[in-house]
Amino acid sequence: MKRVALLLVAALALTACGGPGRPVDLAVVTAVDRPQPDGSKPGEAGATGAQPSGCGDPTASLRPGGLGIAAGSTMAKIRDRGRLIAGVDQNTYLFGFRNPATNNLEGFDIDMAKQVAKAIFNDDSKIQYKVLTSRDREKALANGEVDIVARTYTINCERLQQVSFSAVYYTTGQRVLVQKGSSINSMDDLGGKKVCANVGSTSLTQIAKHPAKPVPWSVLNWSDCLVLMQQGQVAAMSTDEPILVGMAAQDPTVRIVGPKLTEEPYGIGIPKANTDMVKFVNAVLERMRGDGSWQQSYDRWVASRLGESATQPTPKYRD
Amino acid sequence: MRRVARSARTTPGRLGIIASALVALSVLTGLFAALALQSKQDTISGLTDHREPLSAAAQQIYRSLSDADATASSAFLSGGSEPAALRERYEIDMAQAGAALAKAASDVGGIAGAEKQVDTLGQQLPVYAGLIETARTNNRFGLPIGAAYLREASTLMRAKLLPAAQELYRIDIGRLTDEQDDAASLPWLTVALTLVLLGSLIATQVYLTRKTNRLINTGLLVSTVAVGIGLVWGVAAGWVSAAAVGSARDDGSQQVDVLVQARIVALKCRADETLTLVARGDGTAYEKEWQELAPTISGKGENDKDLLAKARASASDPAISQQVRGAIDNAQAWQEAHRKLRELDDTGQYDQAVSMALGDDDKDAASAFNKLDENLSNAIQKGREKFVESTSSAQNALTGLVPGVAVLALIGAGGALVGIRQRLREYR
Repeated sequence: MKRVALLLVAALALTACGGPGRPVDLAVVTAVDRPQPDGSKPGEAGATGAQPSGCGDPTASLRPGGLGIAAGSTMAKIRDRGRLIAGVDQNTYLFGFRNPATNNLEGFDIDMAKQVAKAIFNDDSKIQYKVLTSRDREKALANGEVDIVARTYTINCERLQQVSFSAVYYTTGQRVLVQKGSSINSMDDLGGKKVCANVGSTSLTQIAKHPAKPVPWSVLNWSDCLVLMQQGQVAAMSTDEPILVGMAAQDPTVRIVGPKLTEEPYGIGIPKANTDMVKFVNAVLERMRGDGSWQQSYDRWVASRLGESATQPTPKYRD
Repeated sequence: MRRVARSARTTPGRLGIIASALVALSVLTGLFAALALQSKQDTISGLTDHREPLSAAAQQIYRSLSDADATASSAFLSGGSEPAALRERYEIDMAQAGAALAKAASDVGGIAGAEKQVDTLGQQLPVYAGLIETARTNNRFGLPIGAAYLREASTLMRAKLLPAAQELYRIDIGRLTDEQDDAASLPWLTVALTLVLLGSLIATQVYLTRKTNRLINTGLLVSTVAVGIGLVWGVAAGWVSAAAVGSARDDGSQQVDVLVQARIVALKCRADETLTLVARGDGTAYEKEWQELAPTISGKGENDKDLLAKARASASDPAISQQVRGAIDNAQAWQEAHRKLRELDDTGQYDQAVSMALGDDDKDAASAFNKLDENLSNAIQKGREKFVESTSSAQNALTGLVPGVAVLALIGAGGALVGIRQRLREYR
């Protein structure tokens, strides 16, 4: 009887499809789909990165013409509108960022914009901020969507073809931010590794053309780079030193390494046609030197964290 | 075989064959009908027990996730430590999404598409929650990287989680509709088989009358009547049940589907509204989506995509109509509030725009949106009740039919056997 039963089981097993049964597969996951900031993708160098010839000294601006506002001038139009429209950043700590506690925008660049508003309205709150990504700065100025751009805006010949700049209000250079404890000491050690920068920034172009051949990775905002670093999705980020200082201030496990790779003079961007506004903003910058407000703002946002004191750069004018 | 052929030449032999054929046909028809009706009953009870609850769970996942995302952005916009009410709303949304996901995962029915969506949701939901908590921690430290985590979370939500939830809902509502069609169809094969049986019984009686000159054969008559009753009962009950399934679809699930679509649009618009403010000038894409979507929930009926106008036109139940009318009023109030808050933001009054977006004053966007969502939620609940009500009556119409047809088929077989044996005996 028992033998019959065994035979029967064997026969059933043979006729069942697939031979002896196997346990149902476990839901095994071997790779995860990591979250990405919006617009995060492999980076492409902006345009050529080469300086167009015949631009002379790009940092030479127009000589200031005083703080008076003539009827019919660009400043008069802004005054009639009742507010200055400033293109800024809300994601770059220390320069232009949203204070999560107060919902207000703050930073060194924001102070620059406020000073311009104060010169026009005698009230630095008459500003409408319009957040721009690096990529959109020229477009916003060319379309007249904003009156000024104060957003870690490097003056160069390529940009001067589309927009005008004020005199230089800050000069810095590009460095590299890496994890503390990593063996990376400069861009030279980043060959074949992902290095993050903002889309449309000069920093991204520098990464793309660096001889060590790091892999450029582009995002929409500087803080997205830090997110990617914290999540281990990129090895480093590289941009102007004070931006990196702002990142390091938010994360004690990262450090800034390597020499300054470039020289980045920051200016306030102004639509190309508005030469009266360029002169006016340069007058504002002169006033800031005089009344110490530049120094105050620099000391508040940059000096303490960068550990480096500085004074307002001496302006250069074309005539 | 040869014996059968030989006996077919004599009348008694022929009668023997006819008797066995009739018995076999009766039993077969009875079996077939009972199985077909049982499967129909299973399909109908499956509608209320599985299909509809699953599509409801899928829409709940979408709703909870989308609301969680909009709430997280609102909490961020309020600045400082987030308001307790918003935190609580976010927590409930997430718990709700998890619970509804567990329900949706319980029956993906081997459908690869559904399984894939549930997989995506199951894998990415904890990732999303982690990003939001990282954002909160950084926000409390006053660090702007919190905003970057919030944006990453929102990107994950909009790029992966919400599309998966929407697709899952689409699959589930498709399965519901398919099975409703299935439940509403008459079992034509069974009807045809029964007609053949009935025809055979009648033909046999005509044959017997001709051969034996006796008008009535009680056994066969009983058999014929039993099969006839079975046919009439089955067709009538099937027809009543199909009509009830149809009304469950038209007044229930189809209306719910339109309302769910309207709710999804409203949620998308709300997310666009808050994200435009979070982006602070860099959010033209969100506002563009709002401009595209808002007309589809205006209820003005200006275009054929207007979901609320559609819902109003098809609402057959007064309670649903009332909620839909309320929804239209609130949708219009919201659009007015939105227009004002955009105007404030576009003219540099950002703080006022934010308070208009988040405030709970009657004129504020948040309050209009919340009321609209509540109207839609109530209307969806009413539609679901309507669905269950009609589907249950479809089920009730079939009560007793399965044992009934089985017994009738047995009577049919027995009658035929007794009737023909009676005649056969006369030949001995």
